[in-house]
Amino acid sequence: MFVARSIAADHKDLIHDVSFDFHGRRMATCSSDQSVKTHSGSVWRVTWAHPEFGQVLASCSFDRTAAVWEEIVGESNDKLRGQSHWVKRTTLVDSRTSVTDVKFAPKHMGLMLATCSADGIVRIYEAPDVMNLSQWSLQHEISCKLSCSCISWNPSSSRAHSPMIAVGSDDSSPNTMAKVQIFEYNENTRKYAKAETLMTVTDPVHDIAFAPNLGRSFHILAIATKDVRIFTLKPVRVLIMLMYLAVFLSANYMDNWKCTGILKGNGSPVNGSSQQGSSNPSLGSNIPNLQNSLNGSSAGRYFFPPLDSPRAGSRWSSYAQLLPPPPPPPPPPPPPLVEHSCDADTASLQYPHPHRGYFSRPLNPLPENEGV
Amino acid sequence: MSGTKPDILWAPHQVDRFVVCDSELSLYHVESTVNSELKAGSLRLSEDSAATLLSINSDTPYMKCVAWYLNYDPECLLAVGQANGRVVLTSLGQDHNSKFKDLIGKEFVPKHARQCNTLAWNPLDSNWLAAGLDKHRADFSVLIWDICSKYTPDIVPMEKVRLSAGETETTLLVTKPLYELGQNDACLSLCWLPRDQKLLLAGMHRNLAIFDLRNTSQKMFVNTKAVQGVTVDPYFHDRVASFYEGQVAIWDLRKFEKPVLTLTEQPKPLTKVAWCPTRTGLLATLTRDSNIIRLYDMQHTPTPIGDETEPTIIERSVQPCDNYIASFAWHPTSQNRMIVVTPNRTMSDFTVFERISLAWSPITSLMWACGRHLYECAEEENDNSLEKDIATKMRLRALSRYGLDTEQVWRNHVLAGNDDPQLKSLWYTLHFMKQYTEDMDQKSPGNKGSLVYAGIKSIVKSSLGMVESSRHNWSGLDKQTDIQNLNEERILALQLCGWIKKGTDIDVGPFLNSLVQEGEWERAAAVALFNSDIRRAIQILNEGASSEKGDLNLNVVAMALSGYTDEKNSLWREMCSTLRLQLNNPYLCVMFAFLTSETGSYDGVLHENKVAVRDRVAFACKFLSDTQLNRYIEKLTNEMKEAGNLEGILLTGLTKDGVDLMESYVDRTGDVQTASYCMLQGSPLDVLKDERVQYWIENYRNLLDAWRFWHKRAEFDIHRSKLDPSSKPLAQVFVSCNFCGKSISYSCSAVPHQGRGFSQYGVSGSPTKSKVTSCPGCRKPLPRCALCLINMGTPVSSCPGGSKSDEKVDLSKDKKLAQFNNWFTWCHNCRHGGHAGHMLSWFRDHAECPVSACTCKCMQLDTTGNLVPAETVQP
Repeated sequence: MFVARSIAADHKDLIHDVSFDFHGRRMATCSSDQSVKTHSGSVWRVTWAHPEFGQVLASCSFDRTAAVWEEIVGESNDKLRGQSHWVKRTTLVDSRTSVTDVKFAPKHMGLMLATCSADGIVRIYEAPDVMNLSQWSLQHEISCKLSCSCISWNPSSSRAHSPMIAVGSDDSSPNTMAKVQIFEYNENTRKYAKAETLMTVTDPVHDIAFAPNLGRSFHILAIATKDVRIFTLKPVRVLIMLMYLAVFLSANYMDNWKCTGILKGNGSPVNGSSQQGSSNPSLGSNIPNLQNSLNGSSAGRYFFPPLDSPRAGSRWSSYAQLLPPPPPPPPPPPPPLVEHSCDADTASLQYPHPHRGYFSRPLNPLPENEGV
Repeated sequence: MSGTKPDILWAPHQVDRFVVCDSELSLYHVESTVNSELKAGSLRLSEDSAATLLSINSDTPYMKCVAWYLNYDPECLLAVGQANGRVVLTSLGQDHNSKFKDLIGKEFVPKHARQCNTLAWNPLDSNWLAAGLDKHRADFSVLIWDICSKYTPDIVPMEKVRLSAGETETTLLVTKPLYELGQNDACLSLCWLPRDQKLLLAGMHRNLAIFDLRNTSQKMFVNTKAVQGVTVDPYFHDRVASFYEGQVAIWDLRKFEKPVLTLTEQPKPLTKVAWCPTRTGLLATLTRDSNIIRLYDMQHTPTPIGDETEPTIIERSVQPCDNYIASFAWHPTSQNRMIVVTPNRTMSDFTVFERISLAWSPITSLMWACGRHLYECAEEENDNSLEKDIATKMRLRALSRYGLDTEQVWRNHVLAGNDDPQLKSLWYTLHFMKQYTEDMDQKSPGNKGSLVYAGIKSIVKSSLGMVESSRHNWSGLDKQTDIQNLNEERILALQLCGWIKKGTDIDVGPFLNSLVQEGEWERAAAVALFNSDIRRAIQILNEGASSEKGDLNLNVVAMALSGYTDEKNSLWREMCSTLRLQLNNPYLCVMFAFLTSETGSYDGVLHENKVAVRDRVAFACKFLSDTQLNRYIEKLTNEMKEAGNLEGILLTGLTKDGVDLMESYVDRTGDVQTASYCMLQGSPLDVLKDERVQYWIENYRNLLDAWRFWHKRAEFDIHRSKLDPSSKPLAQVFVSCNFCGKSISYSCSAVPHQGRGFSQYGVSGSPTKSKVTSCPGCRKPLPRCALCLINMGTPVSSCPGGSKSDEKVDLSKDKKLAQFNNWFTWCHNCRHGGHAGHMLSWFRDHAECPVSACTCKCMQLDTTGNLVPAETVQP
């Protein structure tokens, strides 16, 4: 049984993002209200760095900038005596358009930061000197060719996995292709190269998140589009090539993921929430739907031939074995959404730890009450 | 209000009432139905709200427009504009305040009759009502009435007219407006500007005009077609929206020459445009014959004068219902809530939700933001129906010191909660492995010991081709089976399986007894049977049947068992082989499978997956020939590896194979805790060096850190360095002498050991404690403590500063800290320091450094340092 409690938040407008620090003791929120006059536009996202680097936050905004903040303890200045306050250490102004997401890299990579912007460029910055947060050098610029909405670092710190970043796009124009691209760092070229494109995701992506790796030999990536999709990325070694096998898990996730509770966005209890999961009629009716369509099409497994043959020398070939394109997402439950542009609606995802049976289903029912 | 198209209005103050108006006015009351059933006669508006009809008013025919009185007092006072241009005040309230009674029914009549298009109450002077009318050659189109004009008869002459025909009621007729504006023009829409009570914005024919009532001869105007539905942004008083056909124009009153921006044109003409009263810059628009309401978020254009050149509007649509929408109204106070009405008067209460953003904290609490509120999700404890998440399990296990019992290794599964058969098997396996390794080492300090940890698979391999089988006679019955001669390796395997205990004795008796004690009668019976003791098996079953928790059916099974005959074609055999499939208990099942099997083929037993792996393996060791056994073990090992089944550790041991198995277990569950502890338990170094093992250990340590289980992490590190000395961290801090630069650690390290005996009693400063107040290298004195001003290296005297009561409370703590109190400690920032105990007690009450004129806030510099380890707050 889950209960929602309200927390007093001092925001005058829509809260766009909430983020816990590493220990789960502090939380940062960002909003459209620009209440701290720091950005001159809505602040889309906020994220904490590992406490190893101090109390450091990064935010990104509609005003085309990303900023890095550090908490410092007020010194002898009488006004600030004893209190801590946040100082803007740097403003990253490389983007020409709204910066839509910002994420610190896993701590074993050092103090690194990735941003993505509406013009489709992922930028990776590094603070070479962790003591000096005002100096960030732009290390990489990756062009995604699609307006980006969200990024996620692969949290794996295993030496077997090189740094990897997944980028989602919310481009809503109908003719564009896959909305999720995965880039991996190549030690030899010292560049990020595209490792995989999830061809099956063609709806606008609102959020994306890698699950904490926790010793697994593969990666789990969740993608929020109209529905929540979970992919596993398996490194597959073929000769000396390392490839990724992206498998859409939806086929069996109805079995693996159980809904453990439904909560309404505004914290009010859901009618008849005593029978969890089954209380949601539209949810229940979707399940047979999904299974039928899967059964119907499961005969045709798609094999995408490698675009470049492995011999052509490219390290990456998109040798993805994919299940048939996911079933047509269940018609958005009433009130359905006809959506138009950026950053509208689907709930965002966060997993600080593996939470089997938690993270996908509770999200799905929410749009139901969400309207848009 | 043309009869077919209803309009809808929320009451400005009573937030649970609204009015639907088409040919009549109907007042509804909204109720939440979350906790109650739908009442009879009420209409469902949404999943959790319903409306009840309170009253209907059909006094005012030919309605064209309606406006709700903005003041609190006469609650349900409405102004209705009629097709003949008259404006009537009417009420829906049941209990009128007598003071306002005479307002109701009041009529305001223009000189020339024509349609009234719009009405607007003045938000500041609540008695002023503006009415916009159609064009008339000789009349004004904007009339401003004072509804209380009766009380000012000298300004507005008023006459009472008794209406003819059936009406008996007297009606107040007012014919003289307060102001008359816009001669020979048409007024399509009106709104008062909140900037000043005397400013009125009117959408006239082909222009937008601002009338200033202080100087009625003057007006500001701009020519445009977008003159309908003028409305002021409630959060930004200079911003106005108006529309024409399918196009919405946004105006800035300070730059009134042309629209600041126009919104993308809709194919169908618009019918309503409204700013959201609860969010800044959110405009909702509705077109004709559509079931979609479009929302424009103008968040980012608060100042149109600027260098912002990009279109900065976020557009989206909502579909509140399936039918076409006739009209909608924002709720005046509830966030983003609106009510819509369709032409056939079905209504829907509806909230526009924003993107919900979520965050998990490391300790499984969920936080989310909805609109401008934050919510926290709490899990109520009493619900045990759901299996706990692995992270929660690991947390609880870490708290119960899971994995740290290195003496009674099997006890770890009890610490883990005693609810996972795989873990139980794993820890028993590790326990036996440890036990027999020690045994072996004692007997012959050869290399056998490592063989034990290599698992049964390797043990069996090493014994290939050394065993001959022999016929064995059964006690009590005469079944002839091939029982393998038990050589040393097989005995070891059986020992690892737990069937036989330590020593040369190959009796399963003790094992059976312990099984019986735990109430596992079926299993005990099966083991007894496999050890050729059918009498004991029957006896055990009888015992089970007669015990409290036992199953009475066991007697029946015992009966069936006793009828065993070796005859190939007997009825017993026939019945048993068919009926055994209906037995639920796998052990009972394999007993009959064993008894009915042909000699030498035991597939029914070996491939019964519900039987514990250890029993199957032990069975195989007893009955299979070397080649068969080898093949079987090989196959089973691969199955276990595939499935990530921890029972398989028995076979693989802590070898590379074991790591493979553990990898698939971790892939399946994410349980790095078990993986780390298991691999640390006795793996040879090359296995510990395996990248995967290191990675699990790293991940587990990170988890503990994230949970603030620092003490647990430290315990884990200690545990780890005991079992894997190579992971011992090097000294991280050295204290060197100011003068000679040599490390003084020699003298420091001596202090804690000597002090131990006394610190137990809380007595510090013993005479025997060496007074190392100077550098052992150069004999220069060590720095002084900033508080007691005595050279470091001297023992701490009693706690200075704190009051007496404080001391008493802290006494127990001080005991624990006694050694720590002597430690050197200093601030990295100001380099002041002293005895750790003194420093801690100082910073309990102070923020700044104890050294005079130093304003360094030593303790606050590191925020992580102020976090309390989670174990201390845990129950």
